[in-house]
Amino acid sequence: MRITRVEIENFRSIRHIVVDLRDTTVLVGPNNAGKTAILDAVRIALTRRWGQRGTGFSEYDIHMADESTDPKASSGVCIELKSEERVPGEWPDVIVEDLGNIVQLDLDTDCRSVALRAQCRWNADEDSFEPSWEFLAADREPLVGAGARRTNLERFWRYLPFFYLGPLRDVGDEFSARSSQFWARLLRDLNIPPELETRALRVLDLLNRKLLKADPRLEGIAETLSGATRVAARDREGGLDLRMVPLKTWDLLSRAEIILRNEPDRPWLPLKRQGQGIQSLSVIFLFQAFVEHLLAGLYEPGSEPVLALEEPETHLHPQAVRTLWGHIDALPGQKIVTTHSPFFVQHVPFRDLRLVRLTAAGTEVRSLPERFSVPFPPVSGLESVVESAGERLTYVPASGTLTVHGALEEGLYRALLRCCGQDEQRDELEALLRDLKDRSSLYVADDELRALETYARRMRGEIFFAERWLVVEGQADYLLVHSIAHALDYDLDRHGVSVIDAKNNGDPVTFAALARALDVPWFAVFDGDGEGRKLLRRIERRGFSEDERARRCRLHPDGDLEAQLVADGVGTELREVLEEAGVKNAQGLDDEQLVVQLKGRKSAYAAQLAARVRSRPDLAHRMPGAFREAIDEFKGLA
Amino acid sequence: MTPKLAATMDALTDMQRRVVKWDDGPLLVVAGPGAGKTQVLTCRVARLLDSSPDERFRILGLTFTNKAAHEMRTRIAMLVPDAAERAEINTFHGFCAQLLRQHGVHGGIKSNFEIYSRTADRQAVLEDALRGRPDCFGGGDDRLLTQIDALKARLIGPGQAAGHLRAKAGLSPEAAERLALAYRLYEEELSRSNALDFNSLICQAFELLQHPSLARHCRTVYRHWLVDEFQDTNDPQYRLLRRMAGDGFRRLFAVADDDQTIYEWNGANVHRIRTLVHDFGCEVIQLTDNFRCPPGVVEAANRLVVYNVQRDPAKAPAASAGRHAAGDEPEIQSRVFADDGEEACGIAADIAALGASERAETAVLARSRALLTPVRSALEALNVPVALLGRRDDFASPQVRWFFACLKQINRPLDRRNLATLAGAFTSFSGVPLDVEEVIVRSETDQVTPLAAWFDAVRQAAPPGLPAVEAVARLASGSARLADAVAEVMECFKGNDADGALKDDLSAWRRLEREIRQARGSVTLDQFLQEMDLSSKEPAPAPGTVSLGTVHGSKGLEFDRVYLIGLAEGVFPSWHSVNSGNGSAAIEEERRNCFVAITRAKRRLILSRARSYRRRSKKPSRFLGEMGLLDQVASP
Repeated sequence: MRITRVEIENFRSIRHIVVDLRDTTVLVGPNNAGKTAILDAVRIALTRRWGQRGTGFSEYDIHMADESTDPKASSGVCIELKSEERVPGEWPDVIVEDLGNIVQLDLDTDCRSVALRAQCRWNADEDSFEPSWEFLAADREPLVGAGARRTNLERFWRYLPFFYLGPLRDVGDEFSARSSQFWARLLRDLNIPPELETRALRVLDLLNRKLLKADPRLEGIAETLSGATRVAARDREGGLDLRMVPLKTWDLLSRAEIILRNEPDRPWLPLKRQGQGIQSLSVIFLFQAFVEHLLAGLYEPGSEPVLALEEPETHLHPQAVRTLWGHIDALPGQKIVTTHSPFFVQHVPFRDLRLVRLTAAGTEVRSLPERFSVPFPPVSGLESVVESAGERLTYVPASGTLTVHGALEEGLYRALLRCCGQDEQRDELEALLRDLKDRSSLYVADDELRALETYARRMRGEIFFAERWLVVEGQADYLLVHSIAHALDYDLDRHGVSVIDAKNNGDPVTFAALARALDVPWFAVFDGDGEGRKLLRRIERRGFSEDERARRCRLHPDGDLEAQLVADGVGTELREVLEEAGVKNAQGLDDEQLVVQLKGRKSAYAAQLAARVRSRPDLAHRMPGAFREAIDEFKGLA
Repeated sequence: MTPKLAATMDALTDMQRRVVKWDDGPLLVVAGPGAGKTQVLTCRVARLLDSSPDERFRILGLTFTNKAAHEMRTRIAMLVPDAAERAEINTFHGFCAQLLRQHGVHGGIKSNFEIYSRTADRQAVLEDALRGRPDCFGGGDDRLLTQIDALKARLIGPGQAAGHLRAKAGLSPEAAERLALAYRLYEEELSRSNALDFNSLICQAFELLQHPSLARHCRTVYRHWLVDEFQDTNDPQYRLLRRMAGDGFRRLFAVADDDQTIYEWNGANVHRIRTLVHDFGCEVIQLTDNFRCPPGVVEAANRLVVYNVQRDPAKAPAASAGRHAAGDEPEIQSRVFADDGEEACGIAADIAALGASERAETAVLARSRALLTPVRSALEALNVPVALLGRRDDFASPQVRWFFACLKQINRPLDRRNLATLAGAFTSFSGVPLDVEEVIVRSETDQVTPLAAWFDAVRQAAPPGLPAVEAVARLASGSARLADAVAEVMECFKGNDADGALKDDLSAWRRLEREIRQARGSVTLDQFLQEMDLSSKEPAPAPGTVSLGTVHGSKGLEFDRVYLIGLAEGVFPSWHSVNSGNGSAAIEEERRNCFVAITRAKRRLILSRARSYRRRSKKPSRFLGEMGLLDQVASP
């Protein structure tokens, strides 16, 4: 079973978020955005670590809107996990039998689910923060009766054992025979046949004796030390011996360590002597070994681990990081991963990404979902609309949830509105539908995302770490706009602006849709030619309003970039650049010829011009207005 | 296998062991009285659990009473302590309640619904429901609730009620509409109160199970089903079972005895056993050994029951299999008295002569409760303590009723109906009347809970029993634990117990507390109250106490010495059945009643009759003749 959804309230930087989880979910976001809070929330709901000293809950864990918030007065932390079958019958019978008291059914889809709510709030009588866990019925009210029995919790947890690997994966700790969560348990579980054990101990004894005889001083040392037993002697004589090799099988096993060499002719070295990258990586594979060999024995046959993994890229070379996604995704069980590496993100499917950021309203999470839900009462006529919509709409009466798969089309929207016509709460219902329509308009379809997978691999790594996007047409625009911004004292890199040269990376319209879905502030500058106007029309068709288009998108008024530059009066500089680039009689070109020449040497002239602009603010001020305005807009956002 | 289970299995007869180990599909075990039915059921559950240590499926055991469920649970826990948790042993109603708590949301039922088991509560719901329609129900009508119950017991919903009443019950369209309206309003009021009554538990669960995925879910979670006392299963319960089983569920195991079908008035039916065998394709195995009754009683019972023509003709007679030491007294004695008064006194004198330990193993059984009243008085006059068998829906003393209502009020602070119960009970033992409406108004103006407002009102009136109120107030504020509050409240009421009702209740309370703890471990207040609602509130038997009960109340019980009184035509069999004629269904049910009654006896059976009841002379019961015992009757 998998956790399909987590809802978190009032926890650290989180006021309220809902995160859908997949087999592997990758959380991307700046430091302190709340990524670790999400992992910890899942951990808290799946383990008993609340209320324990040291690892437990503190009043700092309660979300505080400002400094004056009293955590004791807060409604408290609330974490809700939901685990739902994706297809009916996905869960093995043994899980359904064992969790029979808490399993809920979706009577339409036949999918089974379990929902758990963990809460922590101030209890004045007990004078402490008190945690509580309860399972929920399909209406999200706590289950009463057999479902409220305490034993259900332990049982549920056994099917979702939670493991955490922090960013600093220390081989010393993780391969410790005493304290490691995986290694120690693997070693303890090893089965050595008794005959082999007896033989091994005999060999060790023999070896020990030989070693002692090797240097006569050893015998003398032993003799001297045995004085201790005589001083402390009781009625019967004790003894003292020197042991050069392990005495017990466990002593032997607990010294087991990994040694490796990178190439055939290099020496074998212990893992601890290897580079940090190898060490960090080996811990991840240790988890895999643990799951493959020990998990079913320690937990239940149907148990599947939940791994919270922070920054798997730590200490690794970019090439290695690029291949990491495949390995992580192939790890058994469910994975929730945080990362700061564009190289890692390059291979993560769009739907698996979650953008985490901190806003004035606390931590927010954005993603590219396939469906959108709204709480909705079972008004008359709803059933038939849902029925006729086929797979586009689903409704679960028990929880009162209306879900649209993909964007809510106008026709369906109108049909739904008609259902509310008779209802007393018509206005509220219409507002709910409007909200559903607005949110579902953020839908980005699979084929669009697939196109981006192909074209925009390089870009993808970068843009998910950027705070703002500037969409331009090509390489020349890319170079120029960086220089212009620098000269205007707004360094794009420093301000987290990613410039997307859309022509080389897929479709500019898709980037606009992505930006809207992920709530990334964006502006676009296109050529003022037929192509550019076509782009604007396509953006309009994606449901961007006229205001929105006017604010976000700009066309060069005098045509394409080159025509615009010439019109903006930088012909002198452009002719110089061409001359330097070896164009004969560059100074003698008229404007039309100039444009033609420029188009033939796009990247060359752009690089040269950009270099000049960078050091000459006066020239920057003469650059195309659309660029400067977009930069001004960014400045205004800060 | 645990040593305990192995030993218990060894002690079974070959036939019993065959049944316990049965693995070949649906099975009906026909087991007469004393055949070791409970032993077979518990061993079977224990064996199924014991042989599947690595599996997680549960076993559903459905019983007729909470008492039987509790006994089975306890025995299973002894046989297989580590796996007992996987046995879900419950009454039909208890099981349905659990199903609704978990899945009722699909039928608009919240998980935390309350169960109204008391008629008074349900009557109050009905009155509230009809208040808005004085045009139809201005005059009041005592029979409405009974009529609604009758519809629900047939799984007829409010929507189909009018049609059914016209077509099947022959009501006029107006009367049918009126009753259907009352039914609908009653259901709506229950729903508004987030409550279900006993019949609703079955009806709503039946409704819910029409979803095939839910029925399938039940079959997955509960791999084996065992039904105890199947002969007393009524139509809705059976239909529920069928629906849950879908097509082709094969792991059903039922135990029944058509000769013990005594709940026909509740919808049980001797033919249902045949339906079960047909619907599920059950194999049938008979357990004919009677380990309980002495040989004479077994023979008498055999002779009696063959007079029932509707019974399964293939059924073999029971064989006495117990080890009964021959004593000085005959196994069966008959007594004849001049009139009912003398019968009561004679039996009472007989019992008074017994030692305390013998009394504890003695029961006086009669066809009706009315017959027992003079026996009870006569016994009490002779200082013999008595206890009444049978289900109690409510506590007997106002003190404990009040305390129980207080707990409910703490659990559901805004329940006005319960507040009225609470106040009413308090008034009846303290003599202090308090206006509930006033308390509610006060709670609204003072912004406190109704219970807190009630506490304040009581404090001002300063009645006797105030310390008990303060103890509850401490419990409500969270500064006292439930166990302490119970002890304190009971201490306050001590000595104020003229009729022994309080003592009974206290004993019942302790028994229930123990049973709930055993079955469910430590529970929240809410869970505790739910279990209490489902349970019968009779006290635990006190030492040296004689049990008095109706035949129905004695179901499933056994005693060393059984007095069966009132064996006269028109008494037992009842006047109604005598009128229906020999061979009628009514007489046959009476005969089964007699069969059940005499087979409660482990050592001695005393059959008594008087020549007149209520000053009317009565002939000896035909059952005496049928048992072959009429000749032996000697006048004292």
